[in-house]
Amino acid sequence: MNTAIDSGYNFAYLDEQTKRMIRRALLKAVAIPGYQVPFGGREMPMPYGWGTGGMQLTASVLGADDTLKVIDQGADDTTNAVSIRAFFERVAGVETTTATAQASVIQTRHRIPEKTLRADQILIFQVPIPEPLRFIEPSEEETRVMHALEEYGVMHVKLYEDIAHHGHIATTYAYPVKVDGRYVMDPSPIPKFDNPKLHMSEALMLFGAGREKRLYAIPPHTRVESLDFEDHPFEIQAWDEPCAICGATDSYLDEVIIDDQGARMFVCSDTDYCNSRSEEKA
Amino acid sequence: MYVAVKGGEKAIANAHRWMADRRRGARDQRELEVSQVQQQLGLAVDRVMAEASLYDPELAALALKQASGDTVEAVFLLRAYRTTLPRLAETLPVDTGAMRIERRISATFKDVPGGQVLGPTYDYTHRLLDFMLLAGVEVETDTPAPQGAEEGLEACPQILDCLNHEGLIEREEDDGSEPYDITRDPPDFPVDRATRLQMLARGDEGYLLALGYSTQRGYGRNHPFAGEIRQGAVEVEIEVEGFDGPVCVGEIAMSECQMINQFAGSGDTAPQFTRGYGLAFGRNERKTMAMALVDRALRAEELGEPIQSPAQQAEFVLAHADSVEASGFVSHLKLPHYVDFQSELELIRRLRREHAERTAATAEAVSDTQAASARPAPGDGDKADPEKTQAKNVQENVR
Amino acid sequence: MNMTQQTSEAVRPHDWPGLADPVHDSQRLFRQLLGAMSEPGTLTELVLPELPTGAAISPAAWGALLALCDLDTRVWVDQGLARANLAAALAFHTGARLTDDPAQADFALVTPDTLSREDGFALGSDAWPDRSTTLIVMVEALAQGDDWWLSGPGVPGERGLALGNAERALPLMRVLAANRAHFPRGLDAFISSEMRLTAIARSTRLAGPGLAATDDAEHQEETA
Repeated sequence: MNTAIDSGYNFAYLDEQTKRMIRRALLKAVAIPGYQVPFGGREMPMPYGWGTGGMQLTASVLGADDTLKVIDQGADDTTNAVSIRAFFERVAGVETTTATAQASVIQTRHRIPEKTLRADQILIFQVPIPEPLRFIEPSEEETRVMHALEEYGVMHVKLYEDIAHHGHIATTYAYPVKVDGRYVMDPSPIPKFDNPKLHMSEALMLFGAGREKRLYAIPPHTRVESLDFEDHPFEIQAWDEPCAICGATDSYLDEVIIDDQGARMFVCSDTDYCNSRSEEKA
Repeated sequence: MYVAVKGGEKAIANAHRWMADRRRGARDQRELEVSQVQQQLGLAVDRVMAEASLYDPELAALALKQASGDTVEAVFLLRAYRTTLPRLAETLPVDTGAMRIERRISATFKDVPGGQVLGPTYDYTHRLLDFMLLAGVEVETDTPAPQGAEEGLEACPQILDCLNHEGLIEREEDDGSEPYDITRDPPDFPVDRATRLQMLARGDEGYLLALGYSTQRGYGRNHPFAGEIRQGAVEVEIEVEGFDGPVCVGEIAMSECQMINQFAGSGDTAPQFTRGYGLAFGRNERKTMAMALVDRALRAEELGEPIQSPAQQAEFVLAHADSVEASGFVSHLKLPHYVDFQSELELIRRLRREHAERTAATAEAVSDTQAASARPAPGDGDKADPEKTQAKNVQENVR
Repeated sequence: MNMTQQTSEAVRPHDWPGLADPVHDSQRLFRQLLGAMSEPGTLTELVLPELPTGAAISPAAWGALLALCDLDTRVWVDQGLARANLAAALAFHTGARLTDDPAQADFALVTPDTLSREDGFALGSDAWPDRSTTLIVMVEALAQGDDWWLSGPGVPGERGLALGNAERALPLMRVLAANRAHFPRGLDAFISSEMRLTAIARSTRLAGPGLAATDDAEHQEETA
C-alpha cells in the first residue's frame, strides 16, 4: 500500500516544493517552541476551518511507512475524521488505524488521546485561531508586537475579569498556556482537561492553522504551563460519575442525552480508549 | 444499553450520492452541458475565475455545474484545483493600455480620444423579465449581429494618461520591485498596495460591493468619479530564454476600472486627483468598480486621511475578503464541537449552582437580618480580591 | 572530512549524489532532521551515497541540503567548504542559489572556525524570529560525551555531547550559547560529521568549558 492510489496527485497530495516550505517552517517552529511561524498555506480540497492546517502538516511529515490515526472530538468515527482519514488513504496509501498505540502520526481536532503518547509518535493538531491574544486584540500587527515584547498582561487581565465576574476563570477550552517560560500559546480548542498532557510530553506536538497560515510546535520534554493565578490555580474538569460504558474515571466524558425527558449519561470522548478498556474487561 | 454512534463513512457516502442526484435534477430534463454554462452563463463563469485566481473558462463552468450553481462553492473547487498546478513561467505585467477594447466608458469626460464604446452591457436595459426567454423563443436568431463588435476590438489609450499632461492626476510609477505573491506567502500586515490589490482581486464580490458602497454613504468618503472602465482582450506574455522580446502565450478577457478621487494636497504636494484601481479576469465590471473604491479607501493612511471607517482599515478589510477562507470558517461551525460544548456545560452548571447557593444564602441572611431590623448585606460571595490575585506565570518583561 | 586538494573543477555537478527517490527519501531525511531539532543533542545517521572525491562537507550536511533546499532558498558557503564544484552541484540538484551575504542566507555551511570570523548571519527579529539563518556545521567528530551539556526543550534533564577537540568547537558553542541572551532571535544549528548529525536549537541551554556559566537565572528559578 505504499504508492499513491490516485496517481494524478503527488504522494500525500501536496507537491514537493510546498512540503519543503512547510518542513523548513516546522524546523523553525520546534526551535522556537510556541512561536507561530507564518507559512504559505495552500488551498486544500477541503474547506478552511475543517482541518486544512493539520492536513498540510500531516502531508508534509507523513511517509509511506507511517501509520496514521485521525480523530475529531476524540473519536475516530466522527464524519470529519472519517473524511480526512479517507483522504490520506487515497492520496498517500498509508496504513491507518484507530488504535492510539499503533499510530506513528495522529491528526486530531479538539482532543489529546487519553493514552500517554510515546517518543516515536507525532501529534498534529488542527487549529482554527492560532493567536491566543486574538479575542483580546483583533489586529495581527498589534498581537505580533505583544508577542515580541512578551507583553502578556492583557491575557491575565482577561482571565482575571472572569474571576471577578464569575468567581472562576470562564475559559474551559483553548485555555492559554505558556511554553518554555516564553510564548503564550493557544493549544487549539482542546478542553483544559487535556492541557496537562502538553507538559513534558514524550511526543512531538505540531499545530497547523491553514486559513490563518500559521504553524507552531511543542517539542518533547518541554515545559507547558496553563496560565493561572496564585489564589485561583489552574484546575481541570472532573465528573461525578465514571464512563457509563467502560467505567473510566480518568478520562474526558461526553454527555449524551438518551431520552425525550433529557435523561443523560456520560461516556468517554476518546473512543479508542473506551473500546480498549471495554475489551480488556470482557 | 447505549452504543456510540458509528457509521460516519456510510453517512458521508450516502450524502454524496444524494447530493449528486439533487444536482442532476429531474431525469426527464436534458443534462446541462459544461459548454452551455460556459457560453450562456458567462458572467458567472467570469466571477468564478476572478475569485479563484485561475483563468480557465471551461473548468470554471465545470465548477459551476458541479456546485449546482453555488458561486462560492465553485470558486473553492477551482481554487483547490489551481493550488495543485505547477508554476511553469511568470508572465510579464499585462498591458491594459494595449487592450483590444470591446467596452470603454468614462464618466468624467463627454468625449475622449478613441471615443466612448458602450459595448455589451445590461446598463440601460429595462429590468423587465423577458417572458420570451421563458418560452424558449430564440429572440436573437433573426436580429443581425451587433454592429461594430469586431471593429470595436482595437487598442486605444488610457483616458487618465491622456489627461495627465497637466499633472492633475497622480501618476502611478512602477518602481520595479518584485511583487509579493499572496498565493505563495502569507501576507504580513501591514501590506503594501500591490499586495492589497492582489487580495482584493480575489476577494468576494459581494463583500467588496458592500464595502465600496459604504464609502459612498459617508464611511470613508473619498468622492469618486469613474475615470475609465474598460473591458476587452489583453495579451499574456512571458519571457523565454533564447528569444528576443516577450512571447505571447494567449489572450484573456479582463475588466479594469480607474476611479478618480479628490485629494486636498498637503504642504509638499499640490492638490491633485488620486486614483483607486480595480482589475479582474473576465467581464467583472461591478467587481472592479467596488475594488477601486476599496483600494482608494485603503490608501487613507498613505494620503494622510483620518482612518475612521471599516473600509479604511486594511487588516480588517483584507483578512476577511476571501470567500474560500470565510465560507470555510463559517461552515466549520457545522462540525462537531461537543467536547468544547461539554466544557462549557460543566462550567455553566457550576456557575448556576453557585449562583443558586448565593441567592439562597442571601435570602436567608435577609430574613435573619430583617428579623433583627437591619439592612441586608450585598451578597457578592467570595469574589477575587485584586490585591490578592497575582499573575503567577506571566512576567511583564517589556524590553 | 575529506580536505584533500583536488582539481575540483574535474568534479561535475551530477557526480554529487541526488536522492534516488526524491519524494520518499526527502521525507525520510526530513523526519530525521525534525527529530534532531525536536530533541537537541540526540544523534542520527543520515544514509546517503558517497560524496565525490574532494568534497569538504559531510554526507549528512549534503543530505540536509537535498532535503530542505530548493529555488526559494539561499545558501551561504564558507570558502573552505566550497570544494568539488559544490555550488554547481547544489544548483543542479536543488535549484538553490548561493549568496555572499550571510544576512540573506536561509542556510549556511560552516565550520566552528567560520564562526570566529563571520558573525553576520540573520538572527531574525523579535517579531519575526523565524527569519533567521540555519547553520549546517561540519565538525571533526560527533558523539555522546561530557564536553558540552544541553538542557531545555527536547531534553529530559541534560544531554552530553562531544564534538572532537573542545577548543576548536568553542567558537560554535559560544555562538549557540549566546542564543539564550537574545531569544527568540537566534541561530539554529545542524551539526554533522560524516553520516552523523545532531541539532542544537536556539531554545537549548548550553554549558561547557569556555562558556560563561549559565546565567539563565529565569530558567533555573522556574525549574526549581
